[in-house]
Amino acid sequence: MKFKIKFITLAIISLFFSKLVSAETAPGFGSWDDVLKAADGGQVNVYMWGGSDAINGFVDDFYGVPLKEKYNITLNRVPLAGTVDAVNQVLSEKEAGVTGDNGNIDLIWINGENFWTLKQAQLLYGPFAAGLPNSKFVAWDNPAVNLDFGRPVDGMESPWSSAQFHFMYDSARNNYDDMPRSYAELSDWIAANPGRFTYIRPGKGGFVGTRFVKQIFFELSGGQEQWVGPFNQELYDKWAPKVWELLNSWEKDLWRSGETYPKDNAEMHSLFANGEVDLDFTQSPRGAGPTNTAGTTPPTSRAFAFYDNMIGDFNYWAIPYNAPNKAAALVYANLVLEPELQAAQVQPANGFCCGWGISTAKVTDAAGKAAINDAQNNLGDAAEDQNILAKALVSDIAAEYQDLIEADWEANVLLK
Amino acid sequence: MGGERLKIILSLTPPLLIIITLFFGGILYGLLQSLGYQPAIGKYDINFSAYYNVLFSERYARMFWTGLGLNLWVSFASTFLAAVFALFAALAIRKTFFAKTICNFIYSLNLPMPHLVVAVGMIFVFSQSGLLARFASQLGFINSPGEFPVLVRDKYGFGIILAYIWKEAAFFFIILMSVLQSLGENFEELAQSLGANKWQRFRYVILPLVMPNLFSASIIVFAFSFGAYEVPALLGVIYPQMLPVMAFEFFLNPDLNARSEGMALSIIIALIVMVLVIIYFWLTQAKIRKD
Amino acid sequence: MNSNLKKINIYAIYLGAIILILPLIAFFINAFSFRWFYPQVIPKELSLQAWVRLKLIPKSGQRSFEGFIDLWASNPAVIKALINSLTIGFLVTVVSIIIALPAARVLGLLNFRFKKLIIFIMVSPTILPPIAFVLGLNINFISLGFSGSFLGVCLVHLVPIMPYVVLTMTGIFANYNPDFEHQARTLGANKTKTFFLITLPAIAPGMVVAALFAFLVSWSQYLLTFLIGAGKVMTLPLLVFSTASSGNPALTAAISIIFIFPAILILFFTSKFVSGESGATSGFGKI
Repeated sequence: MKFKIKFITLAIISLFFSKLVSAETAPGFGSWDDVLKAADGGQVNVYMWGGSDAINGFVDDFYGVPLKEKYNITLNRVPLAGTVDAVNQVLSEKEAGVTGDNGNIDLIWINGENFWTLKQAQLLYGPFAAGLPNSKFVAWDNPAVNLDFGRPVDGMESPWSSAQFHFMYDSARNNYDDMPRSYAELSDWIAANPGRFTYIRPGKGGFVGTRFVKQIFFELSGGQEQWVGPFNQELYDKWAPKVWELLNSWEKDLWRSGETYPKDNAEMHSLFANGEVDLDFTQSPRGAGPTNTAGTTPPTSRAFAFYDNMIGDFNYWAIPYNAPNKAAALVYANLVLEPELQAAQVQPANGFCCGWGISTAKVTDAAGKAAINDAQNNLGDAAEDQNILAKALVSDIAAEYQDLIEADWEANVLLK
Repeated sequence: MGGERLKIILSLTPPLLIIITLFFGGILYGLLQSLGYQPAIGKYDINFSAYYNVLFSERYARMFWTGLGLNLWVSFASTFLAAVFALFAALAIRKTFFAKTICNFIYSLNLPMPHLVVAVGMIFVFSQSGLLARFASQLGFINSPGEFPVLVRDKYGFGIILAYIWKEAAFFFIILMSVLQSLGENFEELAQSLGANKWQRFRYVILPLVMPNLFSASIIVFAFSFGAYEVPALLGVIYPQMLPVMAFEFFLNPDLNARSEGMALSIIIALIVMVLVIIYFWLTQAKIRKD
Repeated sequence: MNSNLKKINIYAIYLGAIILILPLIAFFINAFSFRWFYPQVIPKELSLQAWVRLKLIPKSGQRSFEGFIDLWASNPAVIKALINSLTIGFLVTVVSIIIALPAARVLGLLNFRFKKLIIFIMVSPTILPPIAFVLGLNINFISLGFSGSFLGVCLVHLVPIMPYVVLTMTGIFANYNPDFEHQARTLGANKTKTFFLITLPAIAPGMVVAALFAFLVSWSQYLLTFLIGAGKVMTLPLLVFSTASSGNPALTAAISIIFIFPAILILFFTSKFVSGESGATSGFGKI
């Protein structure tokens, strides 16, 4: 009897404590107030791809200023040539035995393969995403959000924005109606316009190119559905040779006869803007809007999408295990989910690259809704029809395909 | 004499210390890592698999050997052409003429220019949609950028060679100018009065006198262009790739094995440079002894 | 001398000079235009937009004196990088000269065992590629806590700088006559006085050249700062490289102009010292 009572008491007590523990906002912080207090007066080191000065400016202005004024946190934005550089930094620090709060990086703009590298090596801090106050606006039940390249997010990263692959053309040189709407049509287009097309080489800094090639897998194999889920070596081996065959068949009609390919967005835009090729790529819901504003594409540039197999996904912020300012990182990750700031992302005037990270349907307050509606109506005519984009939307697939495609493309197409 | 010895040792220690601990220490540590010795993650075995992979494996061998060929070609061509260009410029510019000081300044202008900027400049001027191509288009020589020859971001490294020539010619130029100035015109006039023509004066008087300086300068230029990263990173193509770019990309791969391969490749680059410099030395010492 | 040949010579020099300046011209046009695409030679749209985007010039309507001050006080990336580059350059230059001075004196004036070996060691960072040592040093620095620190970047900059400074100053001392010092000492001057009144003025021109070399080498470092700085220490070359990879030629050109500005200033100063009268360059050639 005594034993039973002791047992029940213990059970009740541990239940009580476990409830307290599960109410924890994020590891090491009891409540959001604790987070704010710990972050006050400090700095936050944000490591992100720095290849777009528009995105850089957006972060500095729309996050840097409120961070300082509302939360007394100084933003230190670190531009990277590629996200993998930050991943590498964390790995090096792990190798050198740096733990606790002694690392260099607080936040990394990340998704897909890079995220998986850090997550599986247990080099991330978290789970933290669900504990952010603004996570109530995130559609966590949507597999496009809670799965990153087919792998569960598990709260170890928090969304920022979304992007969908499609194309740009110059309305001064071509017509919307003449644009190819599938890879089959693209093949014909390339043959009819020799030397006027190329694509970014799949590889480091060229994930847009990898995406371009991945979509060929989808179209040739009859659809993206069979590729969803864990990595399937047999499926890959079945279709890869056909993909390389197609790409090789284009070579003689490609820009520079396929001897070389642009290595990133920057080179690609330059070729397009200077009239060396006629088609370019974009990931923004505003199509050619951002690059037109920045002056890196001609103002007559417009967007179009294939009718199917246009990959879209979310991108996130993650916190390394040894981040020096974890509280400030949490404040930042929460800030980017503010409805008004999310709407600002989509507004053309602000020049940001990408789309919504939150689910606009979940925003209920008047100010937020007004900002969202304004942004939705303002996408501009350099954008493709959002309905076409939505119909063509497919999610990205397991991360293993990425490396494999990049290596095999190099071996089978570039080096022939 | 003991006091003097102590003075020598004390004076030399600080710079030697820096170079030995940081430079040679870094190389040693990189060497150890490339051999698989990584105590931080508990690997203590020594093996040459990283080297083997870089040099002979199916995945990398072709990239390495073509990259090596490209490296040698780029370094030799840049050094030689930069020296030749600078030599002719320095010789031609000796007499006084209108706007000489300005020209002098312009020919030395690129010396303090960082290589990064020179590389970007090459793209602006020589790419198929660059300044020269636009001139050509305005003059009616070409109708589209595709018709302009490929001079940068090409697979023979022309763009890289151009960038190095641009910068290093200024380096050679300044050295040659100062040497020629300190030599004066006496030797040349003497030879002229003895009946030697221009070519003979050049070949038998001027050239031997400037050779020592040219020689030591060209070792530095060659070694630099062989191992430098920035210019080929900006101006090179994906394949073939110059070795330092390859090494850096390997190192930045999160896969730890690839990082060992990156270190191995950078050690290989250092070894090749060392061997080439020693051969260079030996050849020219032999030549000097002959003369 | 054949006057026709002379004319061809001179025109060839002019042509060479024009070709050499083309990149600079392209920089300036790019930096002050918008959408300067092929086939425009003369830009259709002149504009300061690149400088506004870099937050160096305020948007139109705010271009008063206060406007400029406010903008720069908000610490834009370019200003941060500029200050870092200047500070690091200055620090490593001063430190390297102080360290190199006694060593150069000893190497230039005296002969001793292993002198050739020591010179070889000093020169090796100019021969062996930086990538060979910085990859290995990177991990070391991380565990020592130097990674991502200002001090760490300064330390690693010293490596490529020391050879130049030591060699240049050795060349100076090789042409230097210590007899003046002996004379001053016999006249009663102590060591410090002798140094400041006799030695220093004599080696000053060479020291200036060495200092300018050192500053330039530090100023242009990319790889070393990128790896050891770990993103926390932002210098101009890092900014130039990332902007050059970002595909906005106007921005790249604008940052490049800022980047080369001190270099051109330095060229003005050194042209006095390096025109052949200084022992620095000939000492350089003696190696």
